[in-house]
Amino acid sequence: MGNQMTEMLKGTLEGIVLTVLTARSAYGYEITAQLRERGFSDLVEGTVYALLVRVEQKGLVDVEKVPSEKGPPRKVYSLNAQGRRQRDEFWGTWNALSERIERLHSDVDLTHDKGE
Amino acid sequence: MAAKWIEALTGSLEQKKQYRQAQARIKALPEPYSTAANAFNRYFMVYGGVTDGDTIVQMVLDSADLWERAAVDRTSVSDIVGEDPVDFAETFAQAYVGKQWIDKERARLLAAVDEAKRSEGQ
Repeated sequence: MGNQMTEMLKGTLEGIVLTVLTARSAYGYEITAQLRERGFSDLVEGTVYALLVRVEQKGLVDVEKVPSEKGPPRKVYSLNAQGRRQRDEFWGTWNALSERIERLHSDVDLTHDKGE
Repeated sequence: MAAKWIEALTGSLEQKKQYRQAQARIKALPEPYSTAANAFNRYFMVYGGVTDGDTIVQMVLDSADLWERAAVDRTSVSDIVGEDPVDFAETFAQAYVGKQWIDKERARLLAAVDEAKRSEGQ
């Protein structure tokens, strides 16, 4: 993943993960897999895991430990009321930001860029 | 060495027990997970600047969970840490917003800036 993509994703991954959890509860790997299917192809599991630790500490998700056939129980994350509010706020912010950036892009005619 | 100062910091016997158990789980991991997990734990401690026992124990327990899971699922180390292991470690550690030494300094900075603003207003 390019550096710019990584940097931009960093600020938005929380909203993205909270959105993925809207449809149904999931454990870490399921979330990563779903995002990869949706084109976030270079997303590493650890990034999502670290993010999940954060949203858990912030109280945006509820966590249930589900026994697994091997190894430690899997932590299943589900969105709670606070997480829903955070998700909605994310989309509000995202829409406002992308609109502003788009407007900037269309106002500045890049085809006439005379710079080096 | 790390184990010694950790004992000085962590309060209860229960905390110490949990911390040791988490460390033992990490030691028991197959390679290369054990090496990776140990390296990250060391970094978490130094970078995290976390000074309360509960938070340290939680961080090490979660780390043990992560690496055990990875070992069982055979997720590769690079799938866990990505291209930038430092960034992974710091993102992970930042999630534990326990009492940190930096909190005191932040409070001091804010108070100083408030003071500066006040004198500006006069």
